[in-house]
Amino acid sequence: MSFQNTKNNLEYNHPIRPPSEVMKLDRLGSFHQTRLSFTRRLIDDLTYQKSKIEIHRWDIDNRGIGSAIIKITLKNEILSLIVFCHSISDEERTDRVIAEKWDMTFSLFKGIPDKKELDQLSKNLKIQESGRHNSKQLTLSRANKSQRIFKKVLSNLSIGEQPSAKLINDVGYLVRTTAVYGNGKFGIEDFSNTKGNNFLEKPFQAEMLTVYLIRYFSIELINFLAKKNGGSKSTTLSKSFSKHLGVGNATGLGMAPFLVNHQELIHQWIHNREIALSRVFSIKRLDKKTQNKIINYINKAFKYSLQWKVDDQLQSKKINDLNLDLKKILQNKNLTKLLNFNYPIKTLFNFYKDDITIETQEILNSIFIEPFPELFEDLINNMGAKEQKSVLIGYNVNDILKIIKENYKWALEIDTTKPEENYCFWYTSQTKLEPRLGITKKDAGIDKQLPFDIAHQIKKTLNILKNLPHDMSAAEVMVNQPELRNIIKRIIINKSLPYSEIQNNLIGKDMKPIDILRCKLSFFGASKFDPKSNLWTRITLFQGAPFPNELWKTNTNDWLFPNLSNV
Amino acid sequence: MISVSLNEIYSETYKALRSVKIEWSLAKDCANKAKWLAQHDQYFLGSILKTADLYKNKEISISINKNTSKKPLATALVGLLLVEYVSEKKITWGGYVDSSKFLLAAMGIIAKEQQINLILENEQKDITAFTKDKAIYVNTNLDTNVPSYFFLRTYDFIKKKNTKFTSFKKNKDVTNLNDKCWERLKSMAFETYVPESETSKSGAGY
Repeated sequence: MSFQNTKNNLEYNHPIRPPSEVMKLDRLGSFHQTRLSFTRRLIDDLTYQKSKIEIHRWDIDNRGIGSAIIKITLKNEILSLIVFCHSISDEERTDRVIAEKWDMTFSLFKGIPDKKELDQLSKNLKIQESGRHNSKQLTLSRANKSQRIFKKVLSNLSIGEQPSAKLINDVGYLVRTTAVYGNGKFGIEDFSNTKGNNFLEKPFQAEMLTVYLIRYFSIELINFLAKKNGGSKSTTLSKSFSKHLGVGNATGLGMAPFLVNHQELIHQWIHNREIALSRVFSIKRLDKKTQNKIINYINKAFKYSLQWKVDDQLQSKKINDLNLDLKKILQNKNLTKLLNFNYPIKTLFNFYKDDITIETQEILNSIFIEPFPELFEDLINNMGAKEQKSVLIGYNVNDILKIIKENYKWALEIDTTKPEENYCFWYTSQTKLEPRLGITKKDAGIDKQLPFDIAHQIKKTLNILKNLPHDMSAAEVMVNQPELRNIIKRIIINKSLPYSEIQNNLIGKDMKPIDILRCKLSFFGASKFDPKSNLWTRITLFQGAPFPNELWKTNTNDWLFPNLSNV
Repeated sequence: MISVSLNEIYSETYKALRSVKIEWSLAKDCANKAKWLAQHDQYFLGSILKTADLYKNKEISISINKNTSKKPLATALVGLLLVEYVSEKKITWGGYVDSSKFLLAAMGIIAKEQQINLILENEQKDITAFTKDKAIYVNTNLDTNVPSYFFLRTYDFIKKKNTKFTSFKKNKDVTNLNDKCWERLKSMAFETYVPESETSKSGAGY
């Protein structure tokens, strides 16, 4: 379906879902990858840039120790991924961010480093946060080999055999990153300095490119080592297995505060996603080809759900329910009929909405967005946001009270005096300076808590403002009571950016940080969410994505819900 | 000297100020002003450390109404609040300012974000800085480190005498700072972190 046809099809604007429906953690924690996700955008951009990705230098020995440089040639610049492979024991290998040794360390670099720069990188990359990094480095990252799979795959390939499909699918990656730092961390390039650079100025583009190249490197590495080990007997990993391997990532609480601290950005991401949905719900008719595409994606999602295995009981149940829901939809003999109605996507969704879980609703939403990338080009290219440093003038007490009553009903409904609504607190740990969650009655450090008790602050502010003259300006209130500035700024931002606030008590007992992580990771383009507790999850990035030599093919970016046959 | 990124300046500054119990929003405002000054090739680090010490010893004011030459207004902390207040109320504010550079940063930020025209005048009512078309222009003779009395107001029309003004331009990607001062800022920031506990181990990998 061409863009023009789709556009002419949009006869009315389907209302976007309100923040009160979308900004709840149970829904945010059910999001999946969409066409708007950053991994997907990166593949589009690499294709558009006519990028050339090649091994520039390979100094890796038979044991897999050494260094490599992967060169990326874009339209207007050259970047490189610098790789160092180290020798570590199995005991030293941990997912924890506080680890001090890794199998591999990486940095995305502007240009190709000269000898002096490479020497500096070799000293500093291996110690990661403890090192001092420079402004030519766009990212800083590290990864470990998967203990479940790397050695097994290597020994299979070395004797000329392919590993089992089950093994490839169960793990889904050869290496797992434990951090990918960007935006000025530890002295690397500030994100703000990429302004005006069409390729790098998009949020998390440098980080996603780093992970994409790590995936490419991991396959190159295992094929290289298999050859070194097995010589002429060896083989390379099959194309379908290679494609089904992404890069793993262990993501913990460090990521959670981002969505609270960057109101403008979270609004932009979620608002764009909701606009995309509103556009597809407004499509009046679908041609046969597009109907089939949608049914095919539902089928792919069904197969994906069958291969999505996790230990976590709650997530397992969600996946099982998802699987049953999708089966029910696929078995409906009237599925094509539903897609033949006017406003077919809206009709299909509304037909099932009350009988399916939130997990299924959100996977359907990802499916609905998928066939129409032309319809969202403006959204895909506009996922960044300008963050306001000053507080907008022109608001008075009455305005603030009105916004609280309209936009913060969710906060006012919480009884903030109850112990369960004050169950935990957020703080920064001395160990690697990562955000953590403490238990209020058990752990020390509440005096150093981060200001994420938004609902509590809203209630306190409401009580103070009620007693002030209603025509007093917000600026005057803040001058008199600077302690209110933080929350008044949030409230004013939320007036014009209503998807900027998670509508749950972030220090309540029921709050699951994993939901915050999943929301952010879905925008990254993660798949196979594998929660290990309420506090951290494993994920896979770029599973099913095209390799650098496939970026030119038709439908390059068609890799939603990858699944492997014969598992 | 140590080379640091703008992001590091922002995050270390606000945490350091939190260590002396400065309000979240004021600490973050100060961090934004520090970043602005760094981007515009202006020194800031020594002033921030001094502000933290003075605040701790209650030798500096954060009240725009109560400030004196002995206890001037801490513009590193409330500069942005002050320019918002003056912009909103359209009044002429007068008071003792500890270091005008943070006021210039605040004027620069609000000019860019909200396109407000502001004038900063000295005690003799000579223009020392003004904002126009999202940019800030500063009298080349202004010593931004000396505590002084200033007037701040919005304006519709401006009449400049034969004074030389320089436009502050964003020209920095990387900032080189005194490494001892930077270490001190970082050690202050470290005080806001909580020691490892059993619960704090509950991150990725556990």
